[in-house]
Amino acid sequence: MKMSKIIYKLILILLLIFVSAESFAGVNELSDYYKTVRCLVCEGQSIQESDTEFAINLKEQIQKKYSSGMSIEEINQELIKIYGEEISFNPPKNHILLWGTPLIVLIIIFIFIRNKIRFFRKL
Amino acid sequence: MKKHLLLPLVGFVVLVFSVLFYFSQSTTKNNSKDEVSSLIFETPDFYNNKLINENTMGDFYIINFFASWCKPCLAEHPLLMEMKKKDIKIIGINFRDDEENFKEWINEHGNPFEYILRDDGTIAYEMGLIGVPETFFIFNKIIQKKIQGPLFYEDVENYL
Amino acid sequence: MISILGNSIIYISLIVTILFYINYLTKIIPSTTVSLRLIYFINLIPFSLLVYAFSISDLTLLNVVENSYINDPIFYKLTSAWGSHEGSILLWIFLINLFGVFFLNKNQTVEIHKNIIFISSLFILYVLISSNPFTYVEANENILGLGLNPILQHFLFVIHPPTLFLGYIGLIIPFVISAHMLVNKNFSEKLFKEMLIWSKISWFFLTGGIVLGSYWAYSELGWGGWWFWDPVENISLIPWLLNTALIHSLQVSIKSNQLKLWSLNLGLYCFIASVFGTFLVRSNLIVSVHSFATDPLRGLFLIIIITYLLAVTVRLNIKSISNFNEDSFNLLSRESFLLLNNIFFICSALVVFIGTVYPLFSEMILKTPVSVGAPYYNFAFNMLLAPLILFMAFAPQINWGKHEKKDKQIPFIIIFSLLISLLSYYFSNNFYFALSVFITSPLFLKSILVLKTNFKKNISFYSQWLAHLSIGFFIIAAVCTEQFDYEENLIFEKETSNEIKLQNNKTAIIKNIKDEIFQNYKKISVDLLISDGQKEKELSPSKNIYQPSGQITNEVSTTNNLFSQYYATISTIESNKVGINLVYKPFINLLWLSAIMLVFSIFLSVIKKR
Repeated sequence: MKMSKIIYKLILILLLIFVSAESFAGVNELSDYYKTVRCLVCEGQSIQESDTEFAINLKEQIQKKYSSGMSIEEINQELIKIYGEEISFNPPKNHILLWGTPLIVLIIIFIFIRNKIRFFRKL
Repeated sequence: MKKHLLLPLVGFVVLVFSVLFYFSQSTTKNNSKDEVSSLIFETPDFYNNKLINENTMGDFYIINFFASWCKPCLAEHPLLMEMKKKDIKIIGINFRDDEENFKEWINEHGNPFEYILRDDGTIAYEMGLIGVPETFFIFNKIIQKKIQGPLFYEDVENYL
Repeated sequence: MISILGNSIIYISLIVTILFYINYLTKIIPSTTVSLRLIYFINLIPFSLLVYAFSISDLTLLNVVENSYINDPIFYKLTSAWGSHEGSILLWIFLINLFGVFFLNKNQTVEIHKNIIFISSLFILYVLISSNPFTYVEANENILGLGLNPILQHFLFVIHPPTLFLGYIGLIIPFVISAHMLVNKNFSEKLFKEMLIWSKISWFFLTGGIVLGSYWAYSELGWGGWWFWDPVENISLIPWLLNTALIHSLQVSIKSNQLKLWSLNLGLYCFIASVFGTFLVRSNLIVSVHSFATDPLRGLFLIIIITYLLAVTVRLNIKSISNFNEDSFNLLSRESFLLLNNIFFICSALVVFIGTVYPLFSEMILKTPVSVGAPYYNFAFNMLLAPLILFMAFAPQINWGKHEKKDKQIPFIIIFSLLISLLSYYFSNNFYFALSVFITSPLFLKSILVLKTNFKKNISFYSQWLAHLSIGFFIIAAVCTEQFDYEENLIFEKETSNEIKLQNNKTAIIKNIKDEIFQNYKKISVDLLISDGQKEKELSPSKNIYQPSGQITNEVSTTNNLFSQYYATISTIESNKVGINLVYKPFINLLWLSAIMLVFSIFLSVIKKR
């Protein structure tokens, strides 16, 4: 049982690492940020990929704001204020149902593992 | 884990999420901008180089974005000319255009606008423009309606 | 002529199906395989007829007029047959019956086949009610047809939809087998094995179809990406994820007699997911690159079919739940790892489902339109699939039942891969790359060790390793492509400059610009040269202007550098300047290679069984 306990801890630690790894997932470059901005006149494209006048203008404007010292986060806030939440492929975190699903799913995984595997039922 | 604990746990999780969900709903307000960007009143007119005074515009006026390279703009142009005849004030904003082409376009088709501003895209961005043509109807300094794409007679019927 | 013929065959097939059912219920004459074969063959006719009509450009059919152009090459005329909504539903029926015919050679149980015929007749009804491709239209000399959408005029698009459809519809066999097992309470190992083979066949086509679609988007759309988390792509991913889970859980059901109800349910939901996918795409509820015309009736009917299938599933579950024992595994056993795999895959499918449907929900209920894109899926998938891939290295070495032997390699492998990933972080300074190295290197290390010691194993062992290994390569390639690609927008002024210095000290030179005229399009191409002094790479991106619509498409040009690729498209072309969008895609070819390996691995395991 000792070996199993070690593995159990290892699994938990790994899961923790992967969850916390997500906090690194910031957009730190402009072109990465463009990929999260939706081109509203195209179908499902981001402004990074699109060559429409809308996308080109938006890229220029974001570039201007960025070089004038605004942070990506502030630019994003402004874009959402002007164009609505639809503009961003990265929906605000207050969409609990959406962002909560992966977490709910993790809880479900945990419950299933406890129920099916004999070892964990004792814990 | 005991079987009888499982159901309440799931129920609890669902409850927590539905409460959070309820609150998330109240925070997502319709936050689209309904005031005219101040940049419009800070950019000089193309022809006479004067600033537009918002107070002289009256209760109702129209802002129309156009460009010489945009074909639908030509389609709505006669309608704009007609509105000018009815003394409706229209601010024309020339969106990302070549200066020569723009002048030629105005000379060829006529000028329905009270004022014309030339924009490199900054005003368009602040107004939340999606594409040209786009028209904003302003009552008492507040955007009441916006129409994306060319105007049709039905859209402006009430104002004529 | 074809219009009348097509319509009458559809009616005949409905009548024959009804007769078959009356006979089956009253048992006047015993239902035989002959009658089944007859129905299957009748149902194969309508689509073949439509293909024929397209091949001769029969302009008395509305569908032909709307979707093909008389001067299109024959190749694309045939593609038009499934390019439209009506045609693709007919293809759907055709493939259901094709699977039926092949399945009939392996298994003659009438109870199973009657379900296939029933589902196929539901779709035939659907064709009759809302999407009949055999609508007649008066022929007119001036009508030459509207033509197929130019972006669909690509060799890959000829094979991509049928392959994907084969994958979707292949899932009907596990569906009917599961339903049959649950109704008759006959949980024999033979049927489970049959289910496994058919779900593998479907997996083969599904994977192939997804890869082809992805490659089509990469090489034809000219956006430089290979996966966009577009709703239509997501919808094909859901059955794929569920099917992957099914293949793994069936191993447990066969080998250790557990997770039976679990596998049967997965079998049911896989097919429901693929019908649901078709529903979402066809009803046009969700905006995507692949746009089709909207018709509420079409959506409604598909909703009815899905609701029916779901109701059947729930009822079967309730009726048969008492026949199953509670599953119970040891911690260190193959079963528990396969269970873990299943849970992760099903949860990923759930995440994709929520992400795809959420914008719809948000717009209708919260009244705030949102877009769910790559950031969300990356977040969820990294979290769910990263641990899975880590386990993938060790799970195949664990014994069934209870694992007694202690594996001394595990700590070393983990430490070693941690070291490699730290090194790769030090050199690349990229967190994601290091993470992907960390989760995949146990797999590679373990492969070397395992293949060295167990050299003489059977094909199924190799096919499984190959599948897992190719997933490892895929992860590395995908992360590299996404993290280390760079893009440059080159503007050449015609008089002043035809040479531009690139970031990596190479030069891009424009050689010449030429116009060519082809059968149904005009092509403007730019010859571009990338040189580093010694070696030169040629690229010729172009813009095609199609007849009769006048639509312009961007043709991508690529040049390979072992695993990496330069990817060029024309962004603007004017009288005095030419703009070229040049993207450097590292390891993109490794990505396609790993996908081919993946498809090949399942092919191996299928032919082994035959």
